[in-house]
Amino acid sequence: MIHARKETTGREMEEEFAVLTGEAAGQRLRQAEPDAGGIVPLWHDVPSLPAQAGDYYGLALLKEPVWIWSVPAYFYMGGVAGGGAVLAAALHGKRPLRRLASWCRVLAFLGTTVGPALLTYDLGRMSRFLNMLRVFRPSSPMSVGSWSLAGTGMAATLALLQGDRPSAKPANLATALGGLMVAGYTGVLLGNSANPLWQDRRRLLPLLFISSAVASTAGVLEMMPLDRKEEGGVQRFGMAGKAGEAACMLAMEHVHQSTPEAATAMKKGKGGVLWQAAKVALVAGILVELVPGRSPAKRKISGALTTLGAVCLRFALLETGRTAAREPLAATRPQRRKMGG
Amino acid sequence: MTTTITGFFTDTSVCIGCKACEVACKQWNQLPADGDFFSGRSYDNTIHLEATTWRHVAFVERGVSLSRQSTARPFSWLLMSDVCKHCERAGCLEACPTGAIVRTEFGSVYVQPDVCNGCGYCVVCCPFGVINRREDDGRAWKCTLCYDRQKDGMEPACAKTCPTDSITFGPLEELKEKAKKRLEELHRRGVTEAYLYGMNDEDQPGTEGLHAFFLLLDRPEAYNLPPAPSVPTKGVGGSWGMMALGLAGMVAAAVAASRAGGEKR
Ligand code: SF4
Ligand code: SF4
Repeated sequence: MIHARKETTGREMEEEFAVLTGEAAGQRLRQAEPDAGGIVPLWHDVPSLPAQAGDYYGLALLKEPVWIWSVPAYFYMGGVAGGGAVLAAALHGKRPLRRLASWCRVLAFLGTTVGPALLTYDLGRMSRFLNMLRVFRPSSPMSVGSWSLAGTGMAATLALLQGDRPSAKPANLATALGGLMVAGYTGVLLGNSANPLWQDRRRLLPLLFISSAVASTAGVLEMMPLDRKEEGGVQRFGMAGKAGEAACMLAMEHVHQSTPEAATAMKKGKGGVLWQAAKVALVAGILVELVPGRSPAKRKISGALTTLGAVCLRFALLETGRTAAREPLAATRPQRRKMGG
Repeated sequence: MTTTITGFFTDTSVCIGCKACEVACKQWNQLPADGDFFSGRSYDNTIHLEATTWRHVAFVERGVSLSRQSTARPFSWLLMSDVCKHCERAGCLEACPTGAIVRTEFGSVYVQPDVCNGCGYCVVCCPFGVINRREDDGRAWKCTLCYDRQKDGMEPACAKTCPTDSITFGPLEELKEKAKKRLEELHRRGVTEAYLYGMNDEDQPGTEGLHAFFLLLDRPEAYNLPPAPSVPTKGVGGSWGMMALGLAGMVAAAVAASRAGGEKR
């Protein structure tokens, strides 16, 4: 056997040395990107010319976000949940608006329970979702967000069960407090990453997410059957949100002038189209609402347009972030400019 | 017993682009191959650091001569073995919501594979574009600075294998002394473009210095390194402040809405 042969020469390899036992041992060959014919991965162009001063063959410096569609979908749902939670608390105890308040509670509940499911769907390893609540790390907006989401989910469930009773006030207030966090933290999360497009707008993104959360909550509510009083309330809430969202989107584009390299990501490709669509839908929603006279159809169209715009906006942010990460100059040029050279 | 803080000093002026470090790293860490990609144009067929590629040798082909080198036409190669920088203030570590990323007793930044849940936030928070999530197991991976080898008192596989000692491993303070001496030597020989990248806080305040720092011969951009990287969490206070402002607006809108509906009739 092996031992016998080992004795003869003493130079045979120990069999155990060839056994892979480490953490990474079970892994398979990484597949080249299928859309490139299985041969050339995402870096399609490696130039044959000498490198240009200022970048490394135009290859990406940063990594693209790995998130899939369910993350922007969650961003939208989280916004609606936050807006719903806050509105529900404000309406609590207002008899004539009882029906509206209960719809708001349903929105808050759905957003904080279906939302996390969407988030979990994106995780590489769903089995480990609970690790999110293993530590609390104030420096990480994702950690802060996970905790607020978990807490708000519970409060929203309680508020939904307790309904409109006066004793439900604490649950409603707790949901509103958590809802505020849920609506806002996603903007902080994107803004405080190394992605050049998001980072440069780190102060605008939270405002954009919050105003859009208000607008999208109103958008959903506008599509429901409402009476006169309810309609008045929803419209006031929605108009504040839509005006804020439009102002933030304008400001987002204004930042373009100081960081043109990252800003081009908002004009080209899938991200550019989605961004334009978000703008058009938002403006159209506002215009429809400004048409004089009132009818349920008008209100519903406006609500649908607002919803469409809000969804497009979330996807546009992810897509444009992807494009910006692929452009090395978007990362390096602003840093150079800050260094003054 | 206190352990010494260790790190890498990568002196790119002696790198010969042999890729031995890439291979040694793959072998020791049992990392799978990356497929059969060959650009056929640049000698760089690894392209960038990846979840399965923890050392990457960059090949910069330039129509520029280096000081003290004479070529028929202006021309030179720059070679650099890139790796996770193990930042003193690491974007990945500060962003990770699960605590999967920790600082080891050797001062390196380590991802615990059994804790990472694959949320992918570290991926967008590394200002160097190092860490990435693997598609097949959904976890984030990067260079461990051979934590397992260091535990047994061995040097990392890449440093051990590097034939020109372009990659040196050792106590960080010793490495810094060594790097300064090497820089002086090069400057004395007339290689004026040489400089140290990310050695300490003054060189790179955004990360407060790197535990894997480099001697470079051109601007960082030429090697696909950011000129002034910064930990993304540095400005997080401003964002939270703006968020609070926005939330006040949201509450005001909700209160206005409840009035509008309730008081009219
Ligand atoms: S280079 Fe990136 S992955 Fe490495 S420690 Fe720094 S932030 Fe983390
Ligand atoms: S992907 Fe893993 S290591 Fe990265 S931030 Fe998420 S939990 Fe932490």
